[in-house]
Amino acid sequence: MSVETHAHHEHPDVVGSRNRLGVILLLVADISFALSMVFVYFYLRGQNVNNMWLPAATADHPAIEPMSAGPGWIVTAIAAFGLLAHIYGLKGARSQNQTQLKLGSLVAFVASLVAVVYQFNTISSAPFTFSDGAYVSCFYMFVFLNMVHLLLTVFISLGNWNRARLGLYVENFWHVDIVRIWWIWMVVSSLLGAFSLSYP
Amino acid sequence: MTTLTQNTATAPGKSIIEKLNVITALALGVISAVVVWRLSLAFLPEDAEGARLFSREDKITLLSMCGWFVGFMTGIGALVGPFRWLMGKDLAHDENMFLAGENMGPKRYFRYTTDHKVVGIQYLFITILIFFLGGGLAMLIRTNLGTPEGGWLHAQAYNSIVGTHGILMIVGTIIMVTGPFGNFIMPIMIGARDMAFPRLNALSFWLIVAAAIPLLWGQFIGGITTGWSAYNPLASQAPLGMDGYIMYICIFAISTMVAGANITTTVVKMRAKGMTWNRTPIFIYGTVASVALALPAFPVFFLSQVLSAFDRALDTSFYNTAGGGSGWLYENLFWLMGHPEVYVILIPSLAALMEMAPVFTRRPLFSFNVAIMGIAGISGLSVLVWAHHMYISGWAPLLNAPFMLTTELISIPTGMLFLVLVGTLWRGRLWMTMPLMSIFALLWNFMIGGITGIYLSDVPADAFLHGSMYVTAHFHYTLMGAGLTGAVAALVYWFPKMTGRMFDKTLSWIAFWMIQIGFNVAFVGMFMVGLAGQPRRVESYAPTFNTANMVTTIGAYTIMIGFLVLLHGVISSARSGVKAPKNPWQAKTLEWSVDYPIPLENFDVLPTVTSDAYGYGKAKS
Repeated sequence: MSVETHAHHEHPDVVGSRNRLGVILLLVADISFALSMVFVYFYLRGQNVNNMWLPAATADHPAIEPMSAGPGWIVTAIAAFGLLAHIYGLKGARSQNQTQLKLGSLVAFVASLVAVVYQFNTISSAPFTFSDGAYVSCFYMFVFLNMVHLLLTVFISLGNWNRARLGLYVENFWHVDIVRIWWIWMVVSSLLGAFSLSYP
Repeated sequence: MTTLTQNTATAPGKSIIEKLNVITALALGVISAVVVWRLSLAFLPEDAEGARLFSREDKITLLSMCGWFVGFMTGIGALVGPFRWLMGKDLAHDENMFLAGENMGPKRYFRYTTDHKVVGIQYLFITILIFFLGGGLAMLIRTNLGTPEGGWLHAQAYNSIVGTHGILMIVGTIIMVTGPFGNFIMPIMIGARDMAFPRLNALSFWLIVAAAIPLLWGQFIGGITTGWSAYNPLASQAPLGMDGYIMYICIFAISTMVAGANITTTVVKMRAKGMTWNRTPIFIYGTVASVALALPAFPVFFLSQVLSAFDRALDTSFYNTAGGGSGWLYENLFWLMGHPEVYVILIPSLAALMEMAPVFTRRPLFSFNVAIMGIAGISGLSVLVWAHHMYISGWAPLLNAPFMLTTELISIPTGMLFLVLVGTLWRGRLWMTMPLMSIFALLWNFMIGGITGIYLSDVPADAFLHGSMYVTAHFHYTLMGAGLTGAVAALVYWFPKMTGRMFDKTLSWIAFWMIQIGFNVAFVGMFMVGLAGQPRRVESYAPTFNTANMVTTIGAYTIMIGFLVLLHGVISSARSGVKAPKNPWQAKTLEWSVDYPIPLENFDVLPTVTSDAYGYGKAKS
């Protein structure tokens, strides 16, 4: 996200506008990826091949019960809280209130960390093994890939807070605005996962 | 102009950026892979009883390949920018200039160089390398098929060669126009100083290099025995080499997404003043349509391979019917990417030839608007045709008729592009160069590829032809006969701007005729055996197919000689060809307005465009 191509300086607004479009286009790819995951979930759920979406009890294996959708919604709620904190910080940047910016960025970063820990806990405490049928496979697909999103969010929100702390957003804050776009998409993608898992 | 106040980094000469290059990347990649491999061996628990065979080995292989990937990208310098952003120490002016490769000579081609012209040449080199390897494998296939009993190659090796040839050529054809010319030529053509995101540009190239090693690695651990489509559950039962395929696709998909966002943003945001959409050259439309189509399509393929990796390494059940998975799921995900991908390959080649047609006929492009409608129509319809690859699979028979209709509808926008090319050639004053002849070659080859495609889109005909050599011949006519023909023409056309020298005329003609004659001999023979019932992907065949197979093999060797002549032409012309004037074709697009060597930022003063690029006089109807 440099403000110069090589030697030629450009106006920050021009660079910001370009970066914004670039991020949105990258998100198009990520949206396609996430929608494909939803397709996978509902396709396998609809097919229920060999009645193995949620396998019934057998002589040597108990029936597989779906996880509560609660943890998925809680992660989404934590992420949504992080988004709100980030927006609060962005409003601070817009009103030249650096303290508000730093506080919002810090809270957003902490929220992303909490979400990661909670998601990790959900994964590690799931009462399945990977081979317990199609629902379980899809459950792991959602939580693993949401975890990737959350880890990226930790990186981005840490950078955002650090840069705010160093006073790099005093004059121009289009980075903060672009990070907001990422946060919105992260919350929506987490919501897509939670929504899907609510229909086991 | 104002600039941001930057919290910049260390003084030049001390930056880590200057220490990283392809050697450090290879070293760090290998070390990371070995370390991860040893750690995995030491700490990964044994498989539970009843787990799929080789599940642990798959975990170790995939983790080691991830280790390679992270190590390589760290070693080349891809992570410097993001971590410097994180630390709030943005790259300083001198560091940006270093990354741009200013005054660095040939070394810049082996670094994380951001100059789009360097990236374009890097893409050209890797495209040639991919075609060299993929073409070499094709010759092994054809040599084995020279006699009915085969046996020249071990059957397992043969299968792996077929799969590796397929995926190499698919990737090669995807990048063959948008890589070299989309990077080198496109920014100059629109009057920009560089791509919108120079570091992402370098990233998209080095990701392809990083992807190549797992594919190579896979050859030594069982190979890719499934064909390039890697259908599941076959792929989940295949040797460890499939892990190489999975990593290759995942990394390449990331490269495609990055390149797509970068190229699209560049065109939307950085066109020269006065370059309205009506004045934007048709090649730009083709390039953007291609990468914009890839942007939503490749993540689906990416996911299909992530799930494949899950099935192999974690014993999940996405494609395993015993566990509730479905092979049809894989086919849907694969072809949701697979059919748009055909047009990701074709559209830039067609657009390149449409760009050249006015130059070599000295006439305006016939119906610019129809060309754009054709490109848009193909792009839109291409995402609605995927299941015509699945008629015979038994998936959703009720949808066969709608998919047959959408597939046949795509002939209409394709026909529009034919119309534009024929209309431009009609009554033009033809300047008989190799690129111009390539337009005729494309019209011939793509007509055959297109018409045979209509038969395959037809459900009853496909029931007979599916899985036969007819299908192989059909898609070679489209991807090679049309796509590669356009790319080779683009190479000869833009060679003077990329190297400062003219492409050897004699060699270009020899290569052209050998490739085109060899191509038609080879694949007409393949159509014959396909119609007679020879299945594809077989290592031996019934003696009744011998003659046509021998014809195909002779054609294939002719193609090989043609491409070797072309390669000789590239090397000899770049080293000692006739020095090119600034605008040897007297073309009107902006790239011909700059001198060679092209300055780092392309233009001293950004140009202002006042007319379209095809003002060669009034078109005669």
